[in-house]
Amino acid sequence: MTTPEERDSTSLPTATRKEVLLQLSGVGRTYQMGEVSVEVLRDVTLDIYRRELLVLVGPSGSGKTTLLNIIGGLDRATNGSVLFEREDLSTMNGRALTKYRRQIVGFVFQFYNLVPNLTARENVMVATEISREPMDVADALALVGLEHRIEHFPSQMSGGEQQRVSIARALAKNPDLLLCDEPTGALDFDTGKRVLELLSRTARELNKTVIIITHNTAIGELADRVIRLRSGEVVEVKENAHPKSAEEIVW
Amino acid sequence: MSTLDRKLLREFRATWIRLMAIISIIAVGVAVYVELSSVYNNISLTKDEYYAQCKMADFSVELKKAPLTEIDQVIEDFPQVTEFRSRIHFFATVDLDGVSDLLNGEVLSLPDEDSAVVNDIVLERGSYFTGQRDNEVIIHDAFARYHNLRPGTWIHLILNNRRQELFVVGTALSSEFVYLLGPGAVTPDPKHFGVFYLKRSFAEDVYDFRGAANQVIGRLSPPVRDRPDALLQLLDNRLSTYGVYGTTPARDQLSNRFLTEEIEGIATFSNILPFIFLSVAALVLNIMMTRWTEQQRTIVGVLKALGYSDLQVGWHFLKLGLMIGFVGGVVGAVLGFVLAEFVTSIYAQFYEFPELTNRPYPSAMLVGMGISLACALAGAAYGARKVLKLRPAEAMRPKPPAAGGAILLERFTKLWKQFGFSSRLVLRSVFRNRFRTLAGLFAAMMGTCILITGFMMQASIVMLIDFQFRLVQRSDRDLVFKDEQPIDALYEIRHLPGVDWAEPVLDVSCTFRNGPYSHRSGIQGIVTSSVLTLPRDEAGNRLRVPTSGLLMSRRLAEILHVKPGGYVEIEPTRGDRRVRKTQVVAVADGYLGLSTYADFEFLNSFIGEENTLTGATLSVSRSPREVRELDRELKRLPGVQSTTARQDSIDNLTETVIETQSILIYLLIGFAGVIFFGSVLNSSLINLAERAPEAATFRVLGYGPWEVGMLYLRESMVVNLVGTVLGIPLGYLLSVAMTEAYGTDLFRIPVVITNAIVIKTLLLSVFFALAAHMFVQRSIHKMDWLAALKVKE
Repeated sequence: MTTPEERDSTSLPTATRKEVLLQLSGVGRTYQMGEVSVEVLRDVTLDIYRRELLVLVGPSGSGKTTLLNIIGGLDRATNGSVLFEREDLSTMNGRALTKYRRQIVGFVFQFYNLVPNLTARENVMVATEISREPMDVADALALVGLEHRIEHFPSQMSGGEQQRVSIARALAKNPDLLLCDEPTGALDFDTGKRVLELLSRTARELNKTVIIITHNTAIGELADRVIRLRSGEVVEVKENAHPKSAEEIVW
Repeated sequence: MSTLDRKLLREFRATWIRLMAIISIIAVGVAVYVELSSVYNNISLTKDEYYAQCKMADFSVELKKAPLTEIDQVIEDFPQVTEFRSRIHFFATVDLDGVSDLLNGEVLSLPDEDSAVVNDIVLERGSYFTGQRDNEVIIHDAFARYHNLRPGTWIHLILNNRRQELFVVGTALSSEFVYLLGPGAVTPDPKHFGVFYLKRSFAEDVYDFRGAANQVIGRLSPPVRDRPDALLQLLDNRLSTYGVYGTTPARDQLSNRFLTEEIEGIATFSNILPFIFLSVAALVLNIMMTRWTEQQRTIVGVLKALGYSDLQVGWHFLKLGLMIGFVGGVVGAVLGFVLAEFVTSIYAQFYEFPELTNRPYPSAMLVGMGISLACALAGAAYGARKVLKLRPAEAMRPKPPAAGGAILLERFTKLWKQFGFSSRLVLRSVFRNRFRTLAGLFAAMMGTCILITGFMMQASIVMLIDFQFRLVQRSDRDLVFKDEQPIDALYEIRHLPGVDWAEPVLDVSCTFRNGPYSHRSGIQGIVTSSVLTLPRDEAGNRLRVPTSGLLMSRRLAEILHVKPGGYVEIEPTRGDRRVRKTQVVAVADGYLGLSTYADFEFLNSFIGEENTLTGATLSVSRSPREVRELDRELKRLPGVQSTTARQDSIDNLTETVIETQSILIYLLIGFAGVIFFGSVLNSSLINLAERAPEAATFRVLGYGPWEVGMLYLRESMVVNLVGTVLGIPLGYLLSVAMTEAYGTDLFRIPVVITNAIVIKTLLLSVFFALAAHMFVQRSIHKMDWLAALKVKE
């Protein structure tokens, strides 16, 4: 016989276990550009759950990156609140925000942003050296299939490989939340698919919340939920009862 | 080592040329500081030790002649005088076999038996007086070395008009002659002037001074030592019956005064020079840091996104500054030690100590290191602060394109249209990167300051020699008599073989007073029609000596706060010593001493004498044979205390001062070069890196690497030359300030700036900038311009 809890964890899909990680309510962001103020994000209210794969889609300028930055503690909301464990990111001091980024969040960027004069291993070490419970650096690189490129410099790797190093760097910190800004934007189709595959495995097998920004709507089919932004507002939230695997999608 | 440190190390390796440029500027600054403070310590510590060792006197009283018993009685009434010695002190002509030059010496008595006395000697070779002979002599070591006089040889001195044979027992030094100057000299001349110590008993015999002395030297108890004037005045009054010529506190003792003023001069230099280098270094470093952190904007963003705190990221960047400061400090400390060694050895040629050696001063090195670190950190922190303040999200966004608006100059359309496209490019870049341009200007100005100061120093000495020994003093031989002589002595001299013309000189030392201002100096009485001594004003115009009243040196007039037409009180130390007023008729310029002139007859009557002279100036025949004969005669002439040849003074100044100075000037040029080179190299390389796509575009358009290089060269040259031109007046002002600081009553340094100096400075500035550009050109040649086109900044 199994206990109800055990049954829970085995029979229900992870996404349906609605445990809230972040709670956004009425989030807005206004930039002051000289004399004009530009409202990039307006009244975004959204719960982000643990262990879900979330895709943010929308045309450029729709506020995707701003929203991701706010979620990741790289930027602050000018309105509303972003609650993480009952604390509001938008009012946290710099030190607390640094701690949040260090312990909770992992970032993957469109242009990888690796440190050019550090090897793959060292780029990952930049992250592990400041984390509390880091993964083994070699394991993290093995996870992204780069165990054979461990001593290579970014300039000696392809774009896909560099992006995988940057994912390994993000994962090595063992974050709860993995934020990816156009992770396949600079990659060709096949490489892109391999990266997506890696990201969805991360969500499903490593139990992380993964948020991916893309303007490629096809990628939405991978997600548990797809959030569509337009002109700084959430215009649609679509739940996928049966997310596809990266293998199956085409663009 | 953390991963970020590894990143740092690799970045050092990639930018080593620029780092070396900055490090060398810092290192030179630290080196100059360490060098100057070491030399300062070397000399002042050695001085203190030496003074203690020799029991250096705190005062001296010059007397005509006083019985020892009387002196002892008087001094007994002054408990502040802790120790004293009465000695016999004369000048003498020296006659060495096979030496035709005119040689002079100071003769001093020492106790027959060796004992620790005031103004003691330190034996270098041989021994103290023995009991074997009366006529033993200990010679000043430098003079002995110059003439190869070893203990055991015989020499001849004209003592009290008699040629005496003396046996050399030893050679020695004394703290009162660290900087040994003959009468009227400004630099030591060991070839022509020495000190000769005689047994007291022997000196008493030859000078007919049995139980008497003409100089009292003594030491004072601590509180009076610093303010001896009142006491010396009392002493002067009590001894006046024996004819006091004057009292001299230690601060006015010639050797001590030169030494003290030199030490103060070093201290002044050690405040100014390092500051120049370190401020340039901080600025250059600041610019490099600004560029470096901006280049790493994205990495800053990523690091922050990864959870690095501002402090950690800031620390990462500061480490570069720290490393530069540390390496600069270490290299500077070592270099400073080596330079101190070298400069100390130069000082040892002029200042005679038993042992003047360079010692390491950990405290000076630590302070140097500290200054270096502080300056590097300040430059680094200021340069990095902008990027660090960015929010991570902002930092990761590419830097907004630099404001590309028109520069001010473009509003003057007519003028602007005159420029070709490349000139416009250069001008825009110069004006848009305002801070970098200002830093470049500052560096060039400071480099120029150093060059100008160095060149001006050299020109000043040349000018001084020319002014003093070709325009003012035109005599070939200067004679000083032991005592006042009647005018017949002059006629006698005029009849000597080889003498073309001779003029009488009456030197009267006296105290000048004007209200609260007073100064001890002297008046030189010369004939108004003199052709051998020609007082002049600053422009070199001849000034006539007034038939009544004084022609006073500018410096003395300043000290006394008296203007032409004003009156001063004079208290002479010979003849009629009553205090009287006389008028300062005009002011003369001179660089050596505080010469004040008066008419020969006027001065004679002023001291209640008639036609007496204390010396004579001579112009001599052009025939070398006649001159040799004359010099031989002069050495044997009774009553002559010393004879100097003008050419010897000129040669001595040229050999010693100018040649030593040249070495120091090469050093200064090297230092200035480090500044010019480092600054130009750094800003050009940064400029090139920032505008790599632009340079690449030019290459694509068909420009050759040299043509592209020219664009950058023109930019750095504009900044460098403008800075140099601005630096010239600044260097002039710095020189003026330093000559003021260095100028003394004994030695005033003229301020000279010539076209040649300006041209040399400009040429060197261009040369250093070109040298730096060669490295920039190398980077342009090596540049992968296709990649540069694609790269996002």
